[in-house]
Amino acid sequence: MKRHIKQSTMRRLISLAMLLALIALFGVLGGMSFLSTGNFSEIFRNASVVAIVGVGVTYVIITSGIDLSTGSMMALVAMTMANIYAYTLLPIWSMILIGIAVGLVAGLVNGIIVAKLNVPEFIGTLATLGIFRALTYLIAITDANGVIQSQPLTVPEYTVLGGSIGAVFYVTVAMAIFVIAGEVVLKYTRFGTNLYAVGANKKSATLSGIDVPRTRMIAYVIVGFCVAVGSVFTTARLQSTTALLGSGFEFNPIAAAVIGGVSLAGGSGDIIGTLIGSVFMATLENGLLKLHMNTAFQYIIKGIVIVAVVIFDSLYRKRMDRIAKEHGAQAEEGVGA
Amino acid sequence: MSKELLLEANHIYKSFSGIPVLHDVHFDVRRGEVHALMGENGAGKSTLIKIITGIYTKDAGQISWEGKPVEINSYQDCLNLGISCIYQELSVIPPLTVAQNVYLRKEPLRAGLIDYNKMNSMTQQLIDLYDFPLKPTTLVEDLGMGQRQLVEILKGLSNDSKLLIMDEPTSSLSGKEAESLFGIICKLRDQGVSIIYISHRLEEVYRLSDRLTILRDGKNAAVLEKDEIIPKMVIETMIGKEMEEVDDSSKELRSDEGPVCLEVKSLTDSANRFRNISFQVRHGEILGIGGLIGAGRTEIVRAIYGVDKAASGEVLLDDERLDPNPALSISKGIGFVPEDRRKQGFIPLLSTVKNVALTNYDIIKRTGMAIDENDELELSKKAIEAIDIRPADPQKEVGTMSGGNQQKVVLGKWLVRGLKLLIVDEPTAGIDVGAKAEIYSILDQLASDGVAVIVVSSDLQELLRVSHRIIVMRKGGIVREFKDETVTQAKILAAMQGVEEGEKR
Repeated sequence: MKRHIKQSTMRRLISLAMLLALIALFGVLGGMSFLSTGNFSEIFRNASVVAIVGVGVTYVIITSGIDLSTGSMMALVAMTMANIYAYTLLPIWSMILIGIAVGLVAGLVNGIIVAKLNVPEFIGTLATLGIFRALTYLIAITDANGVIQSQPLTVPEYTVLGGSIGAVFYVTVAMAIFVIAGEVVLKYTRFGTNLYAVGANKKSATLSGIDVPRTRMIAYVIVGFCVAVGSVFTTARLQSTTALLGSGFEFNPIAAAVIGGVSLAGGSGDIIGTLIGSVFMATLENGLLKLHMNTAFQYIIKGIVIVAVVIFDSLYRKRMDRIAKEHGAQAEEGVGA
Repeated sequence: MSKELLLEANHIYKSFSGIPVLHDVHFDVRRGEVHALMGENGAGKSTLIKIITGIYTKDAGQISWEGKPVEINSYQDCLNLGISCIYQELSVIPPLTVAQNVYLRKEPLRAGLIDYNKMNSMTQQLIDLYDFPLKPTTLVEDLGMGQRQLVEILKGLSNDSKLLIMDEPTSSLSGKEAESLFGIICKLRDQGVSIIYISHRLEEVYRLSDRLTILRDGKNAAVLEKDEIIPKMVIETMIGKEMEEVDDSSKELRSDEGPVCLEVKSLTDSANRFRNISFQVRHGEILGIGGLIGAGRTEIVRAIYGVDKAASGEVLLDDERLDPNPALSISKGIGFVPEDRRKQGFIPLLSTVKNVALTNYDIIKRTGMAIDENDELELSKKAIEAIDIRPADPQKEVGTMSGGNQQKVVLGKWLVRGLKLLIVDEPTAGIDVGAKAEIYSILDQLASDGVAVIVVSSDLQELLRVSHRIIVMRKGGIVREFKDETVTQAKILAAMQGVEEGEKR
């Protein structure tokens, strides 16, 4: 009897192998400038915000939803904090708390639109992508001529969050906390189990007594929280924000989740997968940069990687399903013979 | 078995937008009995069950549980009483383990986190108690349909249920899986669990039930004790009319002399789901294909029609070699009624007109580029006439019709064109007795008009009823052909299971 390896374990090994292969490839092409400790600490720093937001986005994708508004939401949170910084005397910690509150409210808005008003996820969050960005422009700080300015956020108690302990940036520490907490919630709480149930089959989940709208809504609120934290670390690093902050960012956590084995069909995947996906994306970006690849090509290559992974996943799943089916049919016939 | 009543429903009335669905219905269940509930589609079975499980509210009537009157206003109320419902479409969650499914929403917690050790051992205890062939940590997606059903049952039992409602539990099970389910049902009954068993398969009901309630047109037609259950009478009570004597236990097969319509030579699948399959079907002949689920029956007819590609082998239609694909098959006069009609057979949101037209645009008149809507309508009226769809409204959305009528639409769209070969896969799954009989007579009529018909079916009675000749598949190959002989259900079953009669102990 052949040991039946779990499909999810196999998929995890594959994404890890992909990441290692990528590191090996850039190691050969880029040499020490790629393989240095400093560079890896940089890669992890770049992967961190994506992975933090990825925790929430993974929850949403597991429920078979999607969130396209994370980039705009990040800008809205940052611009709110910039206004508080520029126009009030509130302490830094309360500025951060208000930023997080804005993230939670923005997530709740997504949740209500999608889960309560039953707008398809793709359309609902595409709409809020526009709305959050527009709100950012409305509250953006302008000069005397009405031209939007980049708003500095240079107070040291804040920008310290962009720093590091040794080779490990604070944002990476925060990411580690988010990933561990995110994985524990997903695997060891009823809420986590409910996320899978909702994503696998909403009707079955309802029959099992799960409050499906509420579960989906909470997932979107968690995205809002993750985005707000991501926004704090991003602006602390940049020491400023602009109305354009985070445009196109929404692509990254979704891509990271998909690369890490979270199925867009819902019901499968986990946070560790998304972490691997985030590091993969950051490694790809970093390596291409080290090879002095034109930024435009970077986007093309990222796009190709995503398409390739999705194609691979669908072929892989089909194959595994067929093997499972044959396995099942044999088991069924084998018993009485 | 005690005569003590567990559940009693009296004078139940329910109507939907003025149309009465249940009229003064009485239904009761004793402790520790299997009580079958039968009736044609639309007789009110599911409405009654939905009232008992709190999904619908009754217009009038009284429900008592263990002798006390109760109000059941939600599914949660029904769970709290100790009633669990196992739905026809299973409500298990594939990516979760058996234990996670059984204890979904009631996971044992320790310090706020799920205690998997405890959950798995609690599940194991349940499994041991009822002796199910399951393991707590297996993912449900790795289980077959039969085992998934057991998970669903286990989930019901974990609520300390005193009453399990099973709606068509064998509809997606193979013969063997159904057998083990029957064993489990008997075991549960012996342990004092009551079961409401809803099924279209008469022989299961005869075999399992201690009592039988028959509904017809929303009213009680009969309540029978075990020794009063007589097959012929049950059918007559259900359909409310005398039916001619049907002998369903054996049949004299006959050969057809027509010219060969379809010839399949050494057809082999790339995924090894069937291999080296050769057979012929003559014009005017109905060929039955039997076998357990997974024997390759569905796969082979899909390959003949061209939905899936075979790796090697030949398909000849009237001596002409085909490289099958659905569009070519349709144009050559092959019709295909797939296994899962809801997913593959019709478009629920479209009307009968559009569903019939969809496979027939090549024979519908056009004015320039545009479809001639009158001709389209005419065609669907022809289909409705040919197969007696009721109500005969061509504009009605097919998704809102009963299962029997849906299947007739799927058949009807093939009948309006000149067919040479019709392939039907499980033509009467989940369809009531009356509609079944009509579908059989449509198939008989087609054959006598010279069409070759292939019927794939898990229902032995059905195979015997319609086939002129029967082939039985097992593990991807043809193991037995029955022709020119008297064949019985037992012989077919033996071939399906790979046991020849002589070897039986």
